[in-house]
Amino acid sequence: MNVRLNGSSSPVPDSPDTTAAEHIRDRLGLTGTKTACGTGVCGACTVLVDGAPTASCLLPADRLADSVVTTVEGLGGDHPVQRAFAAHDALQCGYCTPGFVVGSSAFVDAWRAEHGDARPGRERIADALSGHLCRCGAYEGIFAAVAAACAGEFDAEPDRDPPRVDALDKVTGRARFSADLAPEGSWEGVIVRSAHAHARVFSVHPGEARVSATRRPVPGVAVDGRPVFTDLLGEERLVRYVGQPIAAVAAPTAALARAAAETVRVDYDPLPAVLDADEARAEDAPRVYTTRAQRRAAPSYGEAPTPPAPWRGNVHGPATVGWRGATAVRRLRRAAERDDPRLVAQEYSTAVQLHSPLEPHVCVASWERDGTLTLRVSTQTVAKVARKAAERWELPPERVRVVSEYVGGGFGAKNGLSADVVAAAELSRLAHAPVRVSFDRAEELTDAGHRAATRTRVALLADSGGNLAAMTVDSHGDGGIAVGSTTATLGLLGYGRSPRRVRDFDVVTHRPPGEPMRAPGGAPLAWALEQAVDTMADRLGEDPLSLRRRWDGNPKRQALYERVAALDLWRERPRGPRTGRFRRGVGIATSNWLYLMGPKARVELSVRDGQVVLRSATQDIGTGIRTVLGEVVADRLGVPASDLRVEIGDSGSVHGTGSFGSRTTTSMGPAAADAADRLRAALREHDPRVPEAGPVPEHALKDALAAAEGVRVVGERGRDRWGALSPDMGDLAVGRGMSGAVHVMEVEVDTLLGRVRPTRCWAGMAVGHVYAERLARNQVEGAVVQGVGYALFEERRHDPTTGVVLTDNLEDYRIPGMGDVPETEVYFHQEGFEHAAGAGVGLGEVSVVGVAASVANAVHDATGWRPRDLPVRPDRLLEGLR
Amino acid sequence: MTATTRPAGLDEALTRLDGTGARPRAGGTDLTACLSSGVLEPAPVVDLSGVEELRGAEWRPDGSVRLGALTGVGELSADTRLADAYPALALTARELATPQVRNAATLGGNLLQRNRCWYLRNPAFDCFQTGGDSCPARGGDHLYGVVVDRGPCVAPHPSSLAVALLAHDASVLVAGGGRAERAVADLYDAADPTRDHVLEPGQVLVSVTLPAPVPGERVAYRRATGRSRAEWPLVEAVARLSLADGGSGPVASAAVAVGGVARTPLRLPEVEAALVGARPGSPLGADVEESLEGLAGLCSPLPATGYKVDLLCATVRDVLGRALDVPEA
Repeated sequence: MNVRLNGSSSPVPDSPDTTAAEHIRDRLGLTGTKTACGTGVCGACTVLVDGAPTASCLLPADRLADSVVTTVEGLGGDHPVQRAFAAHDALQCGYCTPGFVVGSSAFVDAWRAEHGDARPGRERIADALSGHLCRCGAYEGIFAAVAAACAGEFDAEPDRDPPRVDALDKVTGRARFSADLAPEGSWEGVIVRSAHAHARVFSVHPGEARVSATRRPVPGVAVDGRPVFTDLLGEERLVRYVGQPIAAVAAPTAALARAAAETVRVDYDPLPAVLDADEARAEDAPRVYTTRAQRRAAPSYGEAPTPPAPWRGNVHGPATVGWRGATAVRRLRRAAERDDPRLVAQEYSTAVQLHSPLEPHVCVASWERDGTLTLRVSTQTVAKVARKAAERWELPPERVRVVSEYVGGGFGAKNGLSADVVAAAELSRLAHAPVRVSFDRAEELTDAGHRAATRTRVALLADSGGNLAAMTVDSHGDGGIAVGSTTATLGLLGYGRSPRRVRDFDVVTHRPPGEPMRAPGGAPLAWALEQAVDTMADRLGEDPLSLRRRWDGNPKRQALYERVAALDLWRERPRGPRTGRFRRGVGIATSNWLYLMGPKARVELSVRDGQVVLRSATQDIGTGIRTVLGEVVADRLGVPASDLRVEIGDSGSVHGTGSFGSRTTTSMGPAAADAADRLRAALREHDPRVPEAGPVPEHALKDALAAAEGVRVVGERGRDRWGALSPDMGDLAVGRGMSGAVHVMEVEVDTLLGRVRPTRCWAGMAVGHVYAERLARNQVEGAVVQGVGYALFEERRHDPTTGVVLTDNLEDYRIPGMGDVPETEVYFHQEGFEHAAGAGVGLGEVSVVGVAASVANAVHDATGWRPRDLPVRPDRLLEGLR
Repeated sequence: MTATTRPAGLDEALTRLDGTGARPRAGGTDLTACLSSGVLEPAPVVDLSGVEELRGAEWRPDGSVRLGALTGVGELSADTRLADAYPALALTARELATPQVRNAATLGGNLLQRNRCWYLRNPAFDCFQTGGDSCPARGGDHLYGVVVDRGPCVAPHPSSLAVALLAHDASVLVAGGGRAERAVADLYDAADPTRDHVLEPGQVLVSVTLPAPVPGERVAYRRATGRSRAEWPLVEAVARLSLADGGSGPVASAAVAVGGVARTPLRLPEVEAALVGARPGSPLGADVEESLEGLAGLCSPLPATGYKVDLLCATVRDVLGRALDVPEA
């Protein structure tokens, strides 16, 4: 049995247990075809079978026989849709991109055969690509790219380079992600996880695996392939959630590793568990932590250190902050006593949101003979993984190397020594072979972190002049066994300086731990606060924009409000009660976020073989930092970007900032500029024809680079004018000024079937200078997609009896598709951060904070019903409208 | 590794399946998903793709058509002759799953697929379908469960095509232990929690026969979902209305079927009866309204599926509205 694949014939396996995707990736090594969901939902594995897009993860490999198959590699790179994807920046991390490209190529070809160069509408494109998901949310670019390719705009090579430097690698499948790596002789590892929500583990029997190291391989002698076993539980022999790692085994193949894992026996003594945050607050609820040491060791999903707070049972808190807090509380109490109509006191809840990057957590670890540990890992924090690995395995820093060339999304979840990294490293040491540990989708959606659920009470009081007189926020974070909620605390940041008290609590349960997720605390606070502000506007009989303009003193956001006031989307919004089945509504929400930076950011430039090479340990998770660094240096140094080589994602170079806390670009950009200045100075020493500023003449550059061979300079991030607000807390400092955003969202509510359809969105960002406009816009558009998912669809659910996560697949955990997102316009207000190095700050988080709240306010505008709980599922909407 | 055989004819396929424990495979999409999620243990496979008797569309003199079970789901809407003759089936086929799945999945496989219950598909649980003696969803999280509770299992039937075919009064030919034609409705048994269809191991669904098309019928299909596409329906409904006087008169007969609500697809005879005499372009009459309200009486919601009572009524109202061009209120 043979398949004709990308033009050449090859045999197909005669095993019904192998999928076509496995065959294509693992046997043929064509890793452009990605696997992500494993259930035919996400489309990352799409290939053309006899011309038809097909989910290769659901296709038995032997069914490829006698068919003609085209993978992304077979498209060659010059299909018009590939050019269009690159030119329109229809991608971020790039992991879903090959699947999208393959699916789109079939659509574009079929469309043009039938319609010529006509441009298909969004609905038609959404139909055709309904079997693809992009977690970064690059849908606006994909709509534009597919339409342009259909219209014949990319039949020839475009004149201009794509806005993203690695776009061509991503649209062709050439970009190798950590999940695509399978070094010669590498073993596969599997994690054995807890079947109980709470239990004492008496013993873990390794089954057929060995607990001691394999004998070192000797040339000419067959490798000892007996599986190896490592314990992951540590000293405390307790498990506190279903899915908690207990042990891991590795074997020469994945099938052997799974079989070996089956033989591992864990003896549990089950203990009472509490799986619900409300029940966990009861006095007699089973305790998640019983000792001080346990509480102190509780994991945290906060980005900053968890503030000290008391524990009572399973409740940690309050962590209280405020200004004139007692005044705020007193005013609110009196207002309640007199039934003041200017008092808004409401409770809101948010569900657990899962990061669900399409590339799972994955690590290939190998110990070299000299004791060096190499970790090829999908991570947002190359430098942090290297530092933590050195600590854990007691290695000098130079003996650890962490490499992360392409990262298939993270959103906060790939942030340190996760279980895949620990298991792979431990197993590799035992196996004397590289070991690869990759989460499957169920693991990824169970134990790879999440945005904690929240229950938040907001109270706002307006005085007789309609000004904010008092505010309190009490929020309970529900992040499983983890603490670190900052939802209420973020209430300090906005709406002036009126008296306020904000209190954060954590409620722990026997469920998996949260991790920071894109603007942790911010999105749930906005869900509550921005709806309460709208409610207040209603009470005061005031336009919700005008109330925000009065209450919000931030000058950058004032500039955004001014734009909103002039928007057709806002000015021409429907007014008054709406009737009929489909009701349109427009909502607004305000976001703010801290300006964080990494003062230790470094960029190295060196001259190698007559070329400028840029190196740093930072990593590109889809933000486009690889592009930004090159552009900054090219611009500052006055050389064409094509003369630069950018090598990032390797801990072997100078320190690079982690990709979290919206600080990559604002930290790395200035360091790149500084490096460029230093290199220009060095080049001038070698060749005085290199000017002090501006473009370097081509001949002078060539000579100067030849003369400066081997020169190496390191650029630093530098200080902001007036310094930072905080000291450096491990390459993290709080800068002066807040970033801001305003979202205006239009929805259409189907009141019969209970569906909310976001139709248009305007996203105004105040983040100072924008380094790379198209890439920044892409991230903002993607934040709208994720915020819409948060508002309407996404929700981790678990079995109430056992704690098993039920939404452990991308069918039941519902992220937005192409047809679910609004047409989005992005506006950048680029002033206000002139004091910051580089004059611009991060936007990854502020761009997502208010999106869900703007959807909620739009739903209320359309229907008069205010959604208190997200996601706004059809059942909730129908109940609300009854 | 398990073996695969590839019979070229139906008799050989039946022999290979008879008492061997081997599993038939058509498109293989759901089988692969069940294997990878652990719902099914690996077993030998009898690949049916080479069985000629399961292929093709046979248009008969009486106007009916016999569709081989291997007919692709995508073909049901892409084949213009089929789509013109059976628009309700084509509309349904166009909206289920995704293009990548429709291009691989088959008509027969869609009718005989396993349900989507997240307890069934999670290896941590046993249920009636996987050798257990209880339904963990009933006392657990059954947000997407049935609202017409007629048996121990609470998973709605997953096949959208079954809903459309039920509305078409289609029949199926089943081979194995003889050959017998039976109504589509008789493929399923709501009272049996151990399986999603009644075929015995060793039996094969050979073909589906649709009665002669009704020219000029008015049809609509709707699935109520959270997202706009690629989602299993909370409720789905198919309506086929044939009009008197060659399409210009009132409704002469109606077929309305729903899915997502019960262990099997259901016809709604009271609604159908009330529709007779309805005229396109007018608001629904009092008797139709009454029949829609009566749907609540059909329902026996679980603790978390009460919303489906209203949603069932709303989805049926939607398809009737679209099939009859009812003006927006």
